[in-house]
Amino acid sequence: MRAYEELYNRFFDGLHRFAFSFVKSNEVAEEIVSDVFIKIWQIRNRLSEVENLKVYLYTIARNFSLNYIQRIYKHPPVSLDELDVMPVVEMGNPEEMLISAETLRSLRQVIQELPPQCRLIFQLVKEEGLRYKEVADILQVSPLTVRNQLAIAVRRLGQALPMIQSAGAVTAVSAGSLKKS
Amino acid sequence: MTEERFWLLTSLELSGEISPEERAELEHFLADHPVWRLRFNQLQSTWQQRPASSGTRSLSFNKHLQRLSNHLSEDTLQYESADIQIQPETPVVEEVVSPPAPVRRLYKRMAWVAGIAASLVLGWFFAGPLLLGKDKSASAAQNTISTKRGSKSKVQLPDGTQVWLNADSRITYNENFQGSLREVQLSGEAYFDVVRDEERPFVIHTNVIDIKVLGTAFNVRSYADEQNTETSLVRGSVEVTLRNHPEKKFTLKPNDKLIINNEQAGPVAESVKKDPERTTSKQIVLTWGKINYPSKADTVATEAMWTRNKLAFDKESLEEIALKIERWYDVKVVIADEAMKKTEFSIIIEDESLQQVMEALRVAGKFHYSINKKEVTIRP
Repeated sequence: MRAYEELYNRFFDGLHRFAFSFVKSNEVAEEIVSDVFIKIWQIRNRLSEVENLKVYLYTIARNFSLNYIQRIYKHPPVSLDELDVMPVVEMGNPEEMLISAETLRSLRQVIQELPPQCRLIFQLVKEEGLRYKEVADILQVSPLTVRNQLAIAVRRLGQALPMIQSAGAVTAVSAGSLKKS
Repeated sequence: MTEERFWLLTSLELSGEISPEERAELEHFLADHPVWRLRFNQLQSTWQQRPASSGTRSLSFNKHLQRLSNHLSEDTLQYESADIQIQPETPVVEEVVSPPAPVRRLYKRMAWVAGIAASLVLGWFFAGPLLLGKDKSASAAQNTISTKRGSKSKVQLPDGTQVWLNADSRITYNENFQGSLREVQLSGEAYFDVVRDEERPFVIHTNVIDIKVLGTAFNVRSYADEQNTETSLVRGSVEVTLRNHPEKKFTLKPNDKLIINNEQAGPVAESVKKDPERTTSKQIVLTWGKINYPSKADTVATEAMWTRNKLAFDKESLEEIALKIERWYDVKVVIADEAMKKTEFSIIIEDESLQQVMEALRVAGKFHYSINKKEVTIRP
């Protein structure tokens, strides 16, 4: 039971964030996480057959979240990209980083505006520290999709950062050291 | 290098998916382009921010256990045997010196299992029961089963007797229950469904009373920090003896409830038959009443509601309710206003979160409250 509690505590925050992205309610997300662990308890004797527990947990959480959405929406979305996903991404305090509060706001804005699937992928890789392959398994997309989507998310974030010349002048036009692709 | 290529390499670096060749390519480019390096560094420091922990996980885990137990109604033993901590009885000082010590030891032993790799966590599901079993057989003559604040559990004693243990409670019994008596020491609250065995009576010791039973179901509430010790009989019959006056014996019939004042139980023992006038006077050490059924349709008495995951208050003062909530949810409840402490409530709340319970009370009591992590403050 100790280990069960450890397992629960270890994954609660991550699974809760993940479920919350779908259901957008703290209470529902908590119930979904609880259901995930009831499921785990029920199959505890067969858990050795599970290849990657982390992926397994997130996959169940994803299924339960989608089940919930199917139940409450009249016209449930058919693909991940049609879902309205709420980002739960921590960007920290500007003081701790090298950026201004204003930049931080625009970073949040960028995340907000990412396509839903891209946002989810970004969240899973950054916040939950999942590998591309794991994210691909959970969201049932190809690892290449994860790789491309994350590059898009990072590019948009990066472009929201001000260009700072070594002299200290902030300018966005002097990005000339790179060829535009 | 194209801009797209740069961002791809950056994203691979941040996520840790980059290959050595790709990293060399990125490093080489960054070394030549300080402006882009700065951008890269900013992004990296942003990336490394970790989300804050929700901080409510232990509450949430307890809530989860309650939900889990509801899902396992026919398979209860699995859950119960795991929730409790079975530990060898150590000398009395153990409680005073470091109550969490035995738990920690178990925790430490399990820590490796619950460590970094998820696959290791799995190990427990096989090793865990073995370790627990070993712990049990290695124990001396006595077993202690205890629950923490915010958790409950159900156990089966060696004779088949079922015991529901409420939060922050403890029972101790001789291993295997050998001897002419089946004896259990209780502190806190427990509901007993005792297997009938006329040859070997079942005796429960609390600080104030001893309860002798043959075969029966009843609830005993005996928290050290509460004024009264309560015995509520659901069926069968029990005999209650005051610890300080063994000659005083009270036989309870079904639906009887005996309330004994912990402080005053010593000097006088006076039996009073359900007398609302006198229960308010100071001299009463003992009240004889009836257990409550919230409605005719209910088969579970208010006193035993907690065994069904229901918090039930029957004309209880806010002060008493606060104590129950503290144990149930493992929080601290502060009532800012003296006068409010005596307000009485009758409410039954099933399987709800702390927030929902407080909300129900707020509506009934027209007060204000705030929840700050593990502290609840109630004010007018």
